[in-house]
Amino acid sequence: MNLSIEGIGVVGGFGCGTDALVSALLSGQCTPEDVSVKTPEGPLNMAVFSAETSRLEEFVNKRALRRVDHFSKMAILGSYLALQDAGKLEEDRSRMGIIIATGYGAARTTYAFLDSFIADGDTFASPTTFSNSVHNAAVANVSMLLNITGPGLTVSQFEMSVASALLTARCWLEEGTVDSVLFGAVDEYCDILGYCWHRFFGDRATAAHDMDPFNFDLQSAVPGEGASFFLLSRGGGGSQYGSIKDVYLGMTDRYIETQDPGTIFFIGADGHKVCGANYKRFLSEHAPAACYTPLYGSLPAGMAFDIAIAALSIKSGEIFPSMPLKDERPGTDTAGRVLLPRTGPICCVKISNRGELGTVTLGL
Amino acid sequence: MSPGAVAITGMACICAPGSNLPECMGSVFRGERNFGAPMRFASGHAAAYPVFEVADDLALLETRNTPDISRTGRLSLKAAFEAIRGAGLDREFLCSKRVGVCMGTTVGCVMNNEAFYRAYLEKQYPNMADITRFLQSNPAAVVAREFDLTGPRQTIVNACSSSTDAISTGALWIRSGICDIVLAGGADELSHVAYNGFASLMITDSSPCKPFDRDRKGLNLGEGAAMIVLESEGLRRMRGRGARAFVLGFGASCDAYHPTAPHPDGRGLRRALKEAIASSGAEEREIAFVNAHGTGTQDNDRVESAVLNDMLPGVPFLSTKGYTGHTLGAAGAIEAVFTVACLERGRIPASAGFTSPDLRLPASPAGREMKIKGSVAISESLAFGGHNSVLVFGMGGDAT
Amino acid sequence: MTLKEKLKKIIVEELKLEEITPEEIDDDMPLFGEGLGLDSLDAVEIVVLLEKYFGVEVKSLDEGKAAFQSVNTLAAYIEERQAP
Repeated sequence: MNLSIEGIGVVGGFGCGTDALVSALLSGQCTPEDVSVKTPEGPLNMAVFSAETSRLEEFVNKRALRRVDHFSKMAILGSYLALQDAGKLEEDRSRMGIIIATGYGAARTTYAFLDSFIADGDTFASPTTFSNSVHNAAVANVSMLLNITGPGLTVSQFEMSVASALLTARCWLEEGTVDSVLFGAVDEYCDILGYCWHRFFGDRATAAHDMDPFNFDLQSAVPGEGASFFLLSRGGGGSQYGSIKDVYLGMTDRYIETQDPGTIFFIGADGHKVCGANYKRFLSEHAPAACYTPLYGSLPAGMAFDIAIAALSIKSGEIFPSMPLKDERPGTDTAGRVLLPRTGPICCVKISNRGELGTVTLGL
Repeated sequence: MSPGAVAITGMACICAPGSNLPECMGSVFRGERNFGAPMRFASGHAAAYPVFEVADDLALLETRNTPDISRTGRLSLKAAFEAIRGAGLDREFLCSKRVGVCMGTTVGCVMNNEAFYRAYLEKQYPNMADITRFLQSNPAAVVAREFDLTGPRQTIVNACSSSTDAISTGALWIRSGICDIVLAGGADELSHVAYNGFASLMITDSSPCKPFDRDRKGLNLGEGAAMIVLESEGLRRMRGRGARAFVLGFGASCDAYHPTAPHPDGRGLRRALKEAIASSGAEEREIAFVNAHGTGTQDNDRVESAVLNDMLPGVPFLSTKGYTGHTLGAAGAIEAVFTVACLERGRIPASAGFTSPDLRLPASPAGREMKIKGSVAISESLAFGGHNSVLVFGMGGDAT
Repeated sequence: MTLKEKLKKIIVEELKLEEITPEEIDDDMPLFGEGLGLDSLDAVEIVVLLEKYFGVEVKSLDEGKAAFQSVNTLAAYIEERQAP
């Protein structure tokens, strides 16, 4: 069955809301921040696509957010924006389910909890920090603030989190367990991630600033954080964003082609050399392709941004230029610099370094 | 049999009572409680909160290669081997089918290696071995990789209801035709970090836990893994395989109330229980017993007792956490497997740790081992963050 | 700074009560439910804070319940346990 996309809420390095995302898509501009990373060579600067959540004040009073951390704030903001976009902020949510996909969960709070007892001793561990450090804290916080009383789920499957979780969203709607699903993906940057990035990628961690995803032999990934949320319902057609028509989760070497001719592929290649070969192989048989990761960075939940961009493409009737804008790739059949008319479905593709494959196909 | 019933053709369990399901059931029905001070980490708390550990260090696993994975990953594999064998399946057959993996965990997905972080804070710039191990230890991915499975994989991190949700999700995948087989379960190793977390919430008991008892003071942590093999009717009949049991129905809901405490009226649990029973098609008189969440905390047991007394008056219930400890992400699967095993046996063990009824609770659990009447049983989980998840199981039968 | 002033500062800062200043908390204002509106999660956090800042251990939540009514009762509880 089709999953109709009724509303979209996004926050990331490009800013907050679908307008900010579309602006970034049209300008091709999104500048990461510089953050300091502790390394054996001393503190070094690294680029990161950070998300900020000050717009939450439009929806929730500060008191209600006093114990809520950055991870949950991104999820809450994405949720409100999606519901607002769908015109459904006031409706009853007792028949709504909530699913959040995340690669690393509330990473900063995970370490904040360790901080609370490592220095001073086990008895000083902070219970508030602990309760926020669990992966499902975001679902709990969103459900409390929005009074969502259907089932909830938090899925953590690294790069496959989004595709995997969408399978369950579809099952819930098919079975009539719920009438709608607030579906989102969130990941956050933290100091440890920066450290790991540096240890894994060396100079390429600190040098990376402008991601170059189609250069598959180059390590150009820049870490990103953010949230991308959707209000999904049983597809009856009529949504300006179209619907999710198919979700697949498996292995690239066992993938049986089922895509319609005329499909455009949005690949989630995000500058990681170790996944590069897998994407290159995929693209040798699947074209045309576009990539937007340079606008939001590298994060396991990133596929959800591609889904948002696909939905926005359906709404606008055209494909946004692939990133990076300055990329000239003779011989590569990418959706190029100009706005191309959309002639077929859009298939968002995410491949892990181990060859796991997730695809989410959208169409009108 | 409701049209949505999904067959269970294999089961497995490893936890404090034993290293496989028959061992676990033997120990539980002998009334044994294998608790002690934590073996694998030191604690700075003055009180020694007992834990229910798995003795096996899981060094010798029959894996194809020797993956450097976490203890949670190893627990997952141990359960997978037992479940698959019990279902009469082998690697070759599994590779040829659409096999999904759905696992619940809490510890297994958190990148919180303490030694690594301490070294980082002390500017020792640790190498990436611990992180690399974490990145290859996602429980569903570990199982899928070991058996070369190509179907969907999903690790659910829903705190204490993770693997209850994993089983219901697996059943949904079978029903929707995405998979022929789903290996559904959960795993969690004992973690010093979680130990500190629950102690900080002041919901841990410094003596062996006493679910539903008048003198209960909180929970004890445990570790383990369990798995069930869910199979489509088409495949099962083709294989000529009987079903040990069926997942008849399930229900889940959010309390939307508080980050750690359950809703005082149990509104979410009531809804999940109602939906689970309705979706199962079972009648109340068929329900033999309920395996409650029963952690031994004041709040949880009070809410569950009230809800069960209201909605299923007179139906025996018990907590098995007095035998296993609270195994967090593995709890749902371990208790699901125990529930089915008790249905098969026609008996439930005593609710371990219960001796004195709490007069403030409207209902008390089974104080001693007893025979059960009925072909249906329920297992329920209440998670941190207010998620409630209920499974309904029905007795199995022959292939045809 | 008096004990009560210190307590109010800790409550506001550590429990992240941004919309109130320590001076605005009355000594006998109920901390839980009506009044300051703290809940059970704040209560266990206060237990940790009492140990961290005053070296006072709260052995059970029942014991804490009476002590945590207000800044007054908290201060009295601390003073009792810190007596030489």
